[in-house]
Formats: sequence, structure tokens, C-alpha cells
Amino acid sequence: MTVHDISRRTALKWGAVGLSVPFVGSLAACAGSKTSTGAVEKVSLKGQSLALTILGVAGWPPSQMSVDFGNKAFKAHAKSALGYDVGFKSSDAPFGQLFQKAATSLATKSQEFNLIISDSQWLGAFARPKWITPLNKIIEANKNLQVEWYSNVVSNGYMRYPDGSSNIYGLPQEGDTQVLYVRKDMLESPKEQAAFKSKYHKDLPQTFEDFDKMTWADYQTIMEFFTRPTEGLYGISLQYSKEYDDFSCYYYPFLFSRGYQIWDSQKKNVQGVLNTDQNAAALEEFVALKKYCPPGADQVGIPEMADLFTQGKVFSCIQWAAMGPSMIPSTLKGKVIVVPPPAFKEGRTYTLGGQPWVVNAFNDKNNMQAVVDFLSWWYLPETQLAYAKAGGNPCDKVTLESTGFDDLQPWFRAYKYMLQDGKTVDFWHDPNYAKMLSDQQEAFSAFSTGQVKDARKALDYIAYKQQQTLYDAGQTKTAPSGTLPSLS
Amino acid sequence: MAKLRRQAYYMLLWLIALVFFAPVFWIFLSSLKTTDQLLAKTPQIFFSPTTANLLDAVNRPSFTQQFVHSLVLSVASVTIAIVVAFLAAYSFSRFRLAGSDFLMFLLLSVRMVPAAATIVPLYLMYAAFGWKDNLIGIILFYAMFSIPFSLWILKGFLDGVSQRFDETALMSGASRLQVMFKIILPQVRPGLIAAFIFNFIFVWNEYLFNYIVGGANTNNVPVGIATGMYSSGGVDWTFIASATTIYMLPIIVMIYFFQKYLLIGMTFGTVRGEV
Amino acid sequence: MHPLAELEISVASREAVRVVGASVPSGAEGIGAPRKNYLQKHGYAWGLLVPMLIFFIVFNAIPLLWMIGLSFYRYVLTAGGAPVSVGLENYHQLLTDQAMWGSFSRTLIFVLLTVLGASLLGGLLGFLFWGSAKMPGRRLALTLLFTPMLLTPVAVGAFYRLMLDPNFGVISYLFGLVTGGRENLLSKPATAFPTVLLIDIWMWTPFMTLITLAALASVPTAELEAAKVDRLRWVTVLRRVILPHAKFILMLGVLLRTIDAFKTTDLVLLLTSGGPGSSTEFLGLRLYRLGFDSLNMGMASTVAVIALFVAIGFTTLYLYVLNLKKQEDA
Repeated sequence: MTVHDISRRTALKWGAVGLSVPFVGSLAACAGSKTSTGAVEKVSLKGQSLALTILGVAGWPPSQMSVDFGNKAFKAHAKSALGYDVGFKSSDAPFGQLFQKAATSLATKSQEFNLIISDSQWLGAFARPKWITPLNKIIEANKNLQVEWYSNVVSNGYMRYPDGSSNIYGLPQEGDTQVLYVRKDMLESPKEQAAFKSKYHKDLPQTFEDFDKMTWADYQTIMEFFTRPTEGLYGISLQYSKEYDDFSCYYYPFLFSRGYQIWDSQKKNVQGVLNTDQNAAALEEFVALKKYCPPGADQVGIPEMADLFTQGKVFSCIQWAAMGPSMIPSTLKGKVIVVPPPAFKEGRTYTLGGQPWVVNAFNDKNNMQAVVDFLSWWYLPETQLAYAKAGGNPCDKVTLESTGFDDLQPWFRAYKYMLQDGKTVDFWHDPNYAKMLSDQQEAFSAFSTGQVKDARKALDYIAYKQQQTLYDAGQTKTAPSGTLPSLS
Repeated sequence: MAKLRRQAYYMLLWLIALVFFAPVFWIFLSSLKTTDQLLAKTPQIFFSPTTANLLDAVNRPSFTQQFVHSLVLSVASVTIAIVVAFLAAYSFSRFRLAGSDFLMFLLLSVRMVPAAATIVPLYLMYAAFGWKDNLIGIILFYAMFSIPFSLWILKGFLDGVSQRFDETALMSGASRLQVMFKIILPQVRPGLIAAFIFNFIFVWNEYLFNYIVGGANTNNVPVGIATGMYSSGGVDWTFIASATTIYMLPIIVMIYFFQKYLLIGMTFGTVRGEV
Repeated sequence: MHPLAELEISVASREAVRVVGASVPSGAEGIGAPRKNYLQKHGYAWGLLVPMLIFFIVFNAIPLLWMIGLSFYRYVLTAGGAPVSVGLENYHQLLTDQAMWGSFSRTLIFVLLTVLGASLLGGLLGFLFWGSAKMPGRRLALTLLFTPMLLTPVAVGAFYRLMLDPNFGVISYLFGLVTGGRENLLSKPATAFPTVLLIDIWMWTPFMTLITLAALASVPTAELEAAKVDRLRWVTVLRRVILPHAKFILMLGVLLRTIDAFKTTDLVLLLTSGGPGSSTEFLGLRLYRLGFDSLNMGMASTVAVIALFVAIGFTTLYLYVLNLKKQEDA
């Protein structure tokens, strides 16, 4: 019975090869059907009733805000100024699952999500297969969309793909940089100040300017001072989690600030660029900081850090500015100061966060018009100001430089500071980013948790794998050299 | 003395049951706590409970919608599966067709492939047919998944029902369908119930397929938990605890009331009476 | 025709099919049954199978064939463009990919240990609960025992992550009381795998208990009574009376559990994301990442095909054993 079964099954299997071809063929035929070329003809929606769906990030304050704005303020605007009804539904997924949700939907050319809040690194992955609309013509045709952005960080990070080209695929939804959240109340406590002074013969920093001058070397003493395991308090929290891009975003500043590279963006080569001794030393330096973090640092990502900070387990943490509303709940109101993260001796360059809007290329004419109307309204100064007041991070020069902006939210000053050119940089927008990211996250996590003992080896692994990925995808002409080191 | 031993024996069994139940109990307790109590430095066993979070979860429109989806998906798919499986099991049991054993083993092999593996071609297939985010499409998939197990159980039970019943009824002029559903079906009730419960649990708790191939029209609660985990940036532990607690109640109730049938059902027809 | 005669013929034709064996095509029995009668009978039988066959073909056979076919193509959704035929290159790349071998062996070890653990523990508990028909609240106790397998893996993963968190979790708190330090068991590669293993065993031991109870119930009471009367030793009772009857269901339960353990994805996705490092990166997770992170459909299909072969291997093994058992009983 069993041998009989196997031979029958194997026969089926090989027969399948021939049978499957038509399926693959038909799927291929599906590709290359209608997509929006970004051509602009204004469609009148007067008197119509539309329902749009925004795909956003689960539990991410700015994401939810945009939907709320849509359903309240824009709805009113559309009704009164443009003459049609529109309602917004939202669909969301956590960061680590968001790309999959968007990609699997867009791959079916569906209009399930009309407007998508994407992470900046996904621009390539969405643009290459033509799933999102190029926005150049739309921007040309809509004055409201011709915004002067605060810095090149914004346009390079959220808008252009490929890097350095003039193709625009995204418009900034939420600007985001890394900032340092600090417990001001602990800094201002006389007891702490006295103890610190007596121990280190220096004063605790108090103001934004103090932190502006702060380097990691200086900050070591402060972190050390506040690391008190017996009291359940630790000096800092950093993200070492394997999930999504947590570790990478926190390691990269140790490279960017010194001018070290993670890949050759022109030739798309990774080997020889990423896996250098200096990058390895930087990796070790980053991982060594775990001693000032609460236990379990290898599991800490964005939400875990929020829990740690709001529950008073850490004195400070480097966290995204977009998390501001969650990092400073009512219990911590007035007790937190938000400043630029520590500088390195060579400079201060951190990783870019934030999300651009991208537009589903398969939207029909009506939906597309509504989306464009929404975006045009979104970038009106009044809207951006209201967004800022609600806790969101605008990116346009006008709003950011308006008087009183810095005081609207505790983190705005630091956010604006880090948004300047040179202070924040994004990493690859390549269509293969997802694979490259998960490969490196695995290796980073392996090194951080001691599975791999040698930092250089971890980097060699990543460089090989990424070179392979890029080579297979035809992005680079150079095949990976050497052999793949083992991670175990 | 024997009584004492018996008492000790029972206490041991109860202890074991409680040990397994403990983490579940913790989740239930957590649903009654506030976030601060949940995250307190020393885990709290005694605290002032609040039903606020449970009520909050129930009142979320997305949660209710997902719950309804879960219910619809589970009931519909398993019912379809059982009907189809019953027909096939009857055929296998009564007609002893050529290759029936082979087919049954083949069906079981269906369950073997890792979920993520079947998802890839199914996703492509569903995408090609435009079935993504389609309630019927997902129901059919879940039905397919529930058929093999139901088939095995039902065939086992059917084999244990004497064919005399069939023959007598047929001779009296009943049609085959009447024989199947009016006479034979009631006799395999434990098998039906066991198959129903078992597969119901599977569909009830399924996440991956629903997330990838489903959409807003088919979200079930596990998908809701995975996406609702994060609120305002932090992890929404109270929501997860509340949602999980509410979600597991229907199944626990089912297991409690239908336990006997479940146990009998899992014997695949070798036992018709007490367990 | 006289009803009884028809009955005889139908019985006879069924008998004939059974006797001649599994692969007899129609028309070979020559017991005198008119062809029309045979077709009628078998037509109905096949008719009943049609719904199931439709399901099987549409939702199993076709995707399976599609998947096998795709494994010979390079097809990355985000690259745009049509699939490109690459022959066996995917397989070659896979079989030389160390990370994949790592995942594979890791998954096999996991499956082995969790099935063993759950079966042994579940079997033990099954025996323990077997004689407790008169226990007060037995139904409740058993229900409580079964709860771990009733939770959705997503919730289990999420909540155990909290419970094991060194700063907020109850398990690490209790652990800390015993060992002094509040470690995160999920943070270290050495402890993460065993922890996930234990959680999985916790989840599925109740299932094996259920199976064992059912298996034990299938032992005819008459034989048990006889064994008691004969005052046979416990071990003998086990070997000669219980196991021969219970084996079928027990093996089936173990097979089901093996199949499901091989597919573990939801749990680790939520619990550890496959970390720390690669210590809990199971095959299911890799597949998921290939298919939906990288959208590399071709490669994902290749992994799936290989996984399918392995799974078939498992099942064939089990079925071989099962078949032996069945033949012994028959």
C-alpha cells in the first residue's frame, strides 16, 4: 500500500510541472494590465458619495490621527467646498506585518486600500512593480501639493525613488526622527544633583542646550549614575529587538555619525563596504550599552520601550518623535524633556523614521480624485497646524518655522533639530529591502544575544547575504565572494 | 484507608488540572486589571478588579464585527465540511470503492503541508480569481481543511453501524438519501459532534490564512488581536487579555457541555457507549 | 425483480469488490450481476464522493500542482514582471543555503521533542484520569485541563511574551524568586528554544490526554475485567490488553500532532519573531517570510515542496506502522 502510494504520488508530482505552466502563464498575463500612470484629469465628484480606505500602522498615534482627520475635518470640507460625501475607513496592521498586508493586497491589483501609509523604506518595493502611482504630474497639477519641505531629509527620505532621481512616489504623512526622552524631574531633583556632583564632580545637564553639547562619552556617566537595578531603575533604554527594523535603526547612528557606510548605493554592493572592522567595532560599542538597559533589552522594540518609560523603569530612552503622545501620558506630564540624542565625537547623524503617503495605482478615477483632494487638503497650513496640535509631526517649512511651533508639543524642538540636513539619514529604499532587512536583523540579534561571538563575522554574514540578494535581483553585477559564515 | 488514597488521587488530578489552567487563569485575571496593575512590579493576585476593559473590548465595533466573522466562518465552514465528509464517509463505508483507502490517506496528507506553504499558492489562486477578502472564499478554504479529519471520524463511526439498517430501510422503500440522513446519521452523533468541535476550534483560532488572504470583510478575532495589540504605541495588554478571555469562553462552554461526545468521538467509532 | 434477489446481488457485488482488492476496475466481477446494476450502484457511490472530490481538487490538488510548478520559476512579486523559468536553480540555492538547513533541522528537533513531550505527558495524564469516572467535578477538571489547547496561538504567543518579560512578567517574577535574577528566558538563544518548546508542550499535552482517554476507552471492558480476574501484572495488562486496541488511536493522535507541530508558525511569530538570533526560526516562519516579506513566490514554493516531501515521509512512516497494526487486528 505504501510503496504503491509513493509511486503514484511521485507520478502526480512530475506531471504537475507540465500542468502548472498554464497557471503561471495566466498569472503572468494578468500582470501589466491597467494601472494609473499618474496622468491628471480633474474629475468632478459633485453629488457623489465615496468610501475610502486608508491602510495604516496599528497602534501608531499619527496613523490613527490621519483617519480621524479624514472623517471629521476633511469630510466637512469635502461636503461644503467640493460638494461630495466621503467617509474614511481604516485598516491597520502592526509595523512588522504592515508591508505584507499592503503587498498582498496591491499584488492583486485591488482597490482594497486607496491610500496607504507606508514606511519610507518600502518606496522601492511598491514602486518597482508599479503598484503605486508616480506623483510628479499630480503635484504639478495641484498647487497645494507644491510644498516647500523643511529639508532635503524629507524629500530624499519620503518622496524620491530611486534615490537621487526626480521621480516622486510618496508625500510625507508623518515626519519622524530619533530623539532622547529624559525624566526632567529626576534631573531637577536636588538630591540627585547633589549625589551626581559629589560622585562625578560635574553637573547634571538641565537644558536643551546642555544636551545639544552632550556626547556619548559624557552620557556614559549619566547612564551609569541612573542605573540602579536594586531600585528597578536603569539609565537608558535602546532597542535591540529582532523585530522589523528595531535593531538596525539603533545601530546605524553609530555608523552614520562617523561617516561609515552600509552599502555602496551607486553600484549596489555590500561586501567590503558593510563588513569592515570599524563597523564591527561600532557594533560592539552599541551592544555594550546594554549594561545600562533594563534586563530583556533584546526583546525591546517600540511598544516595549514605551511601557518601560511610562512605568518609570528607565531614566531616559532614545525613541521616535512620533511616539511623543504615548511617551508622555498624563502621569508624566511636565516631567519629561525631549532633546537630541547624544552626539558622537565625529558628529551626530541618526536614522530617519516616519511614513509617506503612497497612492494605490489601481484606484479608479473617482477614488483617485478623492485621494488627491484629501492630500491637497492635508497640506494646507491650517490642517498641518491642527495636526501638529493633535500630536502629529508635520514636515513643511512653513509650519515648522511658524512662531510658537516649538512649544506646541514637548518633542517638537528636538524633532525639528534632528530633521535638519545632515542630522538624519534614511537607509536603502531598494525593492529587496524586506529580505535584506530580515537577514541583517537575524544576524544582529544573533550577535547581540551571544549566538555569534564575533561582530565582524555577523557583518560578514549580512554582507554576503545582501550581496546575494542584490545579485539575484539583478541590481548589482558583482556576485558574492567567499563563503557564507555560519551564524550558529 | 482506601478512601484516603482515593481522596489523595482526586486531589492530585485536580492539582494537575489547575496547573495547566493556571496561565489561562492569569490571562483571565489580567482582563480584570488596569494597565498599571497589569504592569506592576510585583504581579498582583489580589487587587480590586474592574470590568472596564472587558466592557471596552466588547464595545469596540471592530471587535464585535470580528467576533461575528469568527462565528460565521467557523459555523459555516465546519457545517459544510461535515456534510461533505458525511457523504463521502458513507460512500467509503458502504460501497467499499476501489482506491478508497488511498483517497483517505491522500486526504490526510493534505493536512501535512505547513500552513505557510499552502498559503502561497492559495493566495495566488485566490488573487487570480478575485477571491481575496471574500467571505465565501475563506469559508470554502476552512471547509476543505476540516474535511479530512471529519471524514476519518465519520467513517470510523459509520463502519460501526450495521448495514442491516440500510438494507432494511431500503427494502421498505426509503431512498438512499433518506436512509443516510434519517436513519444512519443520528446513530453517529458522537462522531458528528467530535468532528464539529474539533474543526470548529481550528477555524476559530486560525490566524495566518485569514490575515493574508482575508481582509476587512473576513477579519476574525485572532487577526484582531494581532493587529489590535498595539494602541497608541504601547502594547495594549488589557485589550489582549480581555479579547482572549471573551473569545475563549464559547469554546470552553462547548467543551464542558459536549465533553462526553468529544471523548467518544475521538475513539473514531471503536466505542459507542461510555468513556 | 424479487427484493431479496436484488439484495443478494447487491451484497454479492459488494463482496466481490472487497475480495478482489483495491484496484479493480469496473466490470471484473462476473458474479452474474448485470452491468447496469453495477454502474448504478457505483455511480451512486461515486456521486456521493463528488463534493469531497471537488473540494479536494480545487483547494488541494490545484494549489499543490501550482506550487510545484512555481518552484521551477523565479517569481518575485515586487520585481514586477512575469515569472522566469529557472529550472532547478531554486532547489540548488535552497539546498546550499545554510540558514535553511538550520531552520530545517531546528524544526525537526522541535517537532520530535514537542511530540514526544506532549505524548508522554499526555499519555501519563490520560492513564491517571482514566480511572476517575466518579471524581467530583470531573467534567470541570477535564475542561480546565483542556483549556491550553483552546486558546488561539496568537494570544498564547502575545501573552507568554508578557508573562516572561523580566520587567513586567509573572513567570520571570516567580523565576526570580527562585533563582535571584530576573532574566528574560526569551532573550538568550540557549533558553529561548526550550522555553518555546515547553510552551508548546503545555499547549498540546491536553490534546494527547484527550487522545489517550479515547484510546483507553476503546479497550473492551470485557478484556479488562478478564485481566483483572486473572490478576495479571500491570505491565502485562498494558502490553497484551490495552496497547493492541489503543494503538491505532494513539498513533493517529501522534501523527496529527506531528503534522501540526511541523507547521508551527503563529506561535513563534508572536512570541519571538524567530529570535533571538535564529534560535527559534522554524521552517514555517521562514516560509512565511519568503512568501510575504520578500514576496519571493518561487523560492517559497520550493521550500514548500521540500517540506511536503518531508511531511509525506513522516506520514508514510506512521501509516506503515498503522497499517501493520490494522492488519494484525483485522
